[in-house]
Amino acid sequence: MADVSVTNFSFKYNQANTNTLEDENLTFQTNHFSLLSGPSGSGKTTLLKFIAGLYPKFVEGNATGSIQFDGKDITSIPASDRNQLVAMMFQNPDQQFAMNTVKAEMTFVLENIQTDPAKMDDIIDNALKFVGISDLKNREINTLSGGQKQRLALASIIAMDSEVIVLDEPFASIDYDTRVDLIARLKQLQTEHGKTIILSDHDLSNYKEVIDDFFYLDPATRHIAKLNNTQKNAFFQRFEQTKIKETVVAEPSASDPKIINFADFNLKPHGDSLLQLNGFNFYRGKTTLVTGENGIGKSTLFDAMTRLTKYQGTISYAKKNIAKIKPLKYAQNVSLLFQDAESQFLNITVKEELDLSLKNRFTTNYSEDNINQMLGELHLDNRMDQVVYSLSEGQKKKLQILEMLIMNPPVLLLDEPLKGLDYDSLRTIVGYLKDAKIRFNQTQIIISHQFSGIIDLIDYHVDFAAHNLTYQEVLK
Amino acid sequence: MNPGLKLFLVVILALEVSFTQSLIVNLVLIGVSLLYLLLHRMSPKQFLGLIFWPLFPALGLFVSQWLYGDAGIHFAFVLFTRIYAYVFLGATFTITTNITDLSLTLEQDFKLPSKFAYGVLAAFNLMPKIISEVKTIKTAALMRGEVLHFWTPTLYFKAILASIQWSQNLAEAMTSHGFVENQERTHYQVIRITAMDWLLFGGGLIIVNLMFVFIHY
Amino acid sequence: MENKKQSQWTLRNIILIALIAIFTGIIFWGAGFLYTALTVALTPMGMAPFANDILMGLWTMAGPLSGFLIRTYGSAFIGEFLGSAVEVFMGGQWGAGAFISGLVQGVASELGFALTGYKKYNWVGLNASIFTTVVVTFAWDMIKNGYMHYSIIMLLGLFITRYISTFIFGGLLTKAIVNMLDRSHLSVSTN
Repeated sequence: MADVSVTNFSFKYNQANTNTLEDENLTFQTNHFSLLSGPSGSGKTTLLKFIAGLYPKFVEGNATGSIQFDGKDITSIPASDRNQLVAMMFQNPDQQFAMNTVKAEMTFVLENIQTDPAKMDDIIDNALKFVGISDLKNREINTLSGGQKQRLALASIIAMDSEVIVLDEPFASIDYDTRVDLIARLKQLQTEHGKTIILSDHDLSNYKEVIDDFFYLDPATRHIAKLNNTQKNAFFQRFEQTKIKETVVAEPSASDPKIINFADFNLKPHGDSLLQLNGFNFYRGKTTLVTGENGIGKSTLFDAMTRLTKYQGTISYAKKNIAKIKPLKYAQNVSLLFQDAESQFLNITVKEELDLSLKNRFTTNYSEDNINQMLGELHLDNRMDQVVYSLSEGQKKKLQILEMLIMNPPVLLLDEPLKGLDYDSLRTIVGYLKDAKIRFNQTQIIISHQFSGIIDLIDYHVDFAAHNLTYQEVLK
Repeated sequence: MNPGLKLFLVVILALEVSFTQSLIVNLVLIGVSLLYLLLHRMSPKQFLGLIFWPLFPALGLFVSQWLYGDAGIHFAFVLFTRIYAYVFLGATFTITTNITDLSLTLEQDFKLPSKFAYGVLAAFNLMPKIISEVKTIKTAALMRGEVLHFWTPTLYFKAILASIQWSQNLAEAMTSHGFVENQERTHYQVIRITAMDWLLFGGGLIIVNLMFVFIHY
Repeated sequence: MENKKQSQWTLRNIILIALIAIFTGIIFWGAGFLYTALTVALTPMGMAPFANDILMGLWTMAGPLSGFLIRTYGSAFIGEFLGSAVEVFMGGQWGAGAFISGLVQGVASELGFALTGYKKYNWVGLNASIFTTVVVTFAWDMIKNGYMHYSIIMLLGLFITRYISTFIFGGLLTKAIVNMLDRSHLSVSTN
């Protein structure tokens, strides 16, 4: 049994100007289910990795204060004993496994903690059964979906039988059913097996009834506070309200010019079909919002549209089969704003990044004044010589969007373009996108979980559900 | 045969082939390897690949040695068959062995530190992701109007950035899954080198070396 | 033996070198057609070995790159050797030959860093590695690919070609990549 107490704990990354965590004092109680919330990029991951004993080993920076498990400092506990105490599950389903198959990964974990080989089969079978993937025991990990990988990650931790289970945004990219199921499993681990659960999530869905404690990391003060019942309920209430709002948008009319068409289209990256379309269209000069549950295949759809993943059937752009358009030409016509801003960067400094866009842009629609004004409005103008990789997540996103606007492709696909943006920046960006649509007739297709603040940009709404895309009037 | 011993045998034989000039021994090695591969049900497609692709370098070396070499046509044939000896010897290993078994035996029987065995294995298991990452890097660059070739520094720069990030993620995940450098581990699948393995290894080496001693054409 | 300084051979750095080797292996894989095309073009003239020497720099690039990124004993060797292992497992046209070449090229590249005492991570160290790579691999091809039976003029031509290629890829390209990494302040070699 272990209380995890964080005392006077501060941390600053080597290349950062300010502390990421500022004099934190809190206790995660033993056998409780604790939820740690706060906006993405606010420092939740950093704290959890310190609790799991991964930091300071795997990070460069300066930590002061202490993190103790029942009075024992985590850094003073030998690595082999630490495994019995705490294990961590990560946000990214990839890059979590050393081995090639589910069973091999499970045995790898048990071998690490020096389990008697004679007991392994039972432990593995039980753990896989607990998380509901017994049938995947002999599968190659590379063929699993994100949700299945996260189930395997949880099974590994269950097999280790650590007292404290730390989870960092574990459901960020997996489907709703898996999320609901895994939250129930975690609750079961707490109540039936005496585990302590510490979980971070910026999405509050499904937690209200299961958690004991709610911690909030306030991005303004960089301070974590345990909320009392009133505050907690207020948070959940506000969260529910932002979700319920319904908006009505138009459906496409017969006269809308079509730009991208899917015929006999079938998308099945893991063997199971994610999406089948025949005769579906996106429309020119419109902003279409694509919604659907996590892990349903929205990003994979964009991968198909940018030829990053294989599909069956035909996608046409302006009536031409995209498989027959030259790669450079197609990429200049249909561009993707990647979910991860760094994927878009090719150079080192902000100035070099902008210069590259100016050099290679397809039209000179944006004047120098235009661009300088935008740089000022996005507060990037005084950062021209800064290394892009050292920008904050929000600054990276703003720079990324700006450089893709300057490129000005006829069709821009945007994968979660609002992630990590504060409200003011978001409104500024929405203004730019509207402007590009009105002035240059740009077609925009957006995947976004969040749509408060962007409703006025949206022309059409497409719902991704049951392996199909359908235009809908109601947006909720 | 034990994958580790098999690898060493293949590498030693390939090394010896490089230093010797016996057309007949080369052909015998190719023939025996081929027999071994057929017994292990190599697919026809794999077989054709093994014949076809090495043809270019083999023929290239043959022709230039024939035209410009001072050692005669026999040596040209030695070089031609040498390429195929490499390829078929290599295939006896790659087509019948997986890298997981190799890592396990290197760790258990050859005392390779586990951080090397599992670190490298974990990286190899990311191969499909790496292939798609290279594609993503190139496509993202096209969207910025840049074509990245194999001589463009940016392509490698981006690849190394991804490597840094992924190596960090993997090392953290493996540590969180209980892996501790230089610590004892138990083994679910114990791989031992049997007397039969040693017999095949030693026998193979002796027979081939005797051939090299006695067969000079 | 190393003292005081913690070994650079951490789990993370091992994975990092392996990943870089695989990445470069896959990037070269895309250039494989070039080798075949060059060979086809040069074979009728009997000049096919030049295809090998023109591309030598590319095949030996993982060594100096790893040696430069992870600044410690053995990293150039391991990077280069794993790079060739990738080729073997992807079914390259050299089979076990690639393993052997990987060993030779790895030693060749490592030798340069060793000669400078693992202290010169600049043009001097890089040039040392380029020099040892060219000399050692060329000596190896004298035996393995029968270069020793060619005339002195052809040998000179091949040697110069190999030097230029290795200088371009192992030198200029590697330095350009390392410069980008340095400028972006992304540290690799610390943990």
